[in-house]
Amino acid sequence: MISASTTSPEETAQLATGLADLATPGDLLVLVGDLGAGKTAFSKAYGAALGVEETMTSPTFTIAREYEGRLTLHHLDVYRLEQMAEVLDLDLPGLLESGGVVLIEWGDAIIPMLPADYLEIRFTFGEGDDDREIALNLVGDRWESRTDAVAELAAGIGA
Amino acid sequence: MLVLGIESASAEVGVALGGEDGVLASAQSSRDRRHAENLSPQIQFVCQQAEIELSEVGCIAVDIGPGLFTGLRVGLASAMALAHGLDVPMIGVSSLELGAFAAKHASGTILPCYDARRGEVFSARFTASGDGVDQLSDARVSTPEELADDLKTSGEEVLMVGDGGKRYHEIFSPLDNVAFAGAGLWYPSVRSLVELAYPRAIAGDTVAAVEIEPMYLRLPDAEINWKTRDGR
Repeated sequence: MISASTTSPEETAQLATGLADLATPGDLLVLVGDLGAGKTAFSKAYGAALGVEETMTSPTFTIAREYEGRLTLHHLDVYRLEQMAEVLDLDLPGLLESGGVVLIEWGDAIIPMLPADYLEIRFTFGEGDDDREIALNLVGDRWESRTDAVAELAAGIGA
Repeated sequence: MLVLGIESASAEVGVALGGEDGVLASAQSSRDRRHAENLSPQIQFVCQQAEIELSEVGCIAVDIGPGLFTGLRVGLASAMALAHGLDVPMIGVSSLELGAFAAKHASGTILPCYDARRGEVFSARFTASGDGVDQLSDARVSTPEELADDLKTSGEEVLMVGDGGKRYHEIFSPLDNVAFAGAGLWYPSVRSLVELAYPRAIAGDTVAAVEIEPMYLRLPDAEINWKTRDGR
């Protein structure tokens, strides 16, 4: 587990940009946190850094949106799903194996349905209104092998 | 009686049309995630090549999986819509039986093994029987390591068919009792589907479109525990 503290949306964006620069085809990022904690802000900054020019909007109602950047970005939100079986409709293995990068908001609810490798990013509110504590949990070989790079990013926030 | 076969439960998508005289025309492509875009043009193409109107088709056969999710659903939805529209019966065949059927001249156990993604494979054991194959064990989803362990324990001579044997070659190839079918059998064949379905269509061994069910093997029945969402 790697921790980062941010004191503004810009610093959260800095982390997102750094992770987007590390992105390789098949990356899965699971975004966790209450409403307003920064999941969507993170996603937008991540997309921008990946070269997405289109305006990214919340996928809550459409569940999945696809954007073209340096890599195809699949922005998913499982908030409206009720059954684990519905997760199959998203075809996560297909999205990941076709060379894209997947971001899933509220993804911690569907952990039994996730592939073996993913980066969980958990946002919690800090003391000040704009303060956030961000916990990065690297799951599986794919992410564990990038521990140093992610730790370096987290340490560099605000610097 | 003409049978139109649709196979898209794998990395490939294919359509074949045939009957008494065997397969009259077929089309196949294997660019990933192009199932929805390629299927309808393929249907049109095989009908043109075979000089058959869709209305002359008497039965729709479809690969019901297990397989890759998006492709499987595209194939099933298209096949069911066609059968419904043409008011003809259907035949569903598992991808594993299709794989085994294509290797039906093998003497020992035939083991179709398809890449299920997420580090898992779909497999089942078959043996040649008459003009077709008999299934010896239930279809299963497992890691390739689990399947390899079971094969090592049983010592059974098997011919492995399918892209699972390609993707996890380093796991299966050390086993002395496993032989591999070639690249021609990496994916379920739509030509085999028509060949296999035709005698069943003649015999009336068919179902209505609404009765066709996909075979998922790992369909979870749990509800999502929304303590985060509902407790806020």
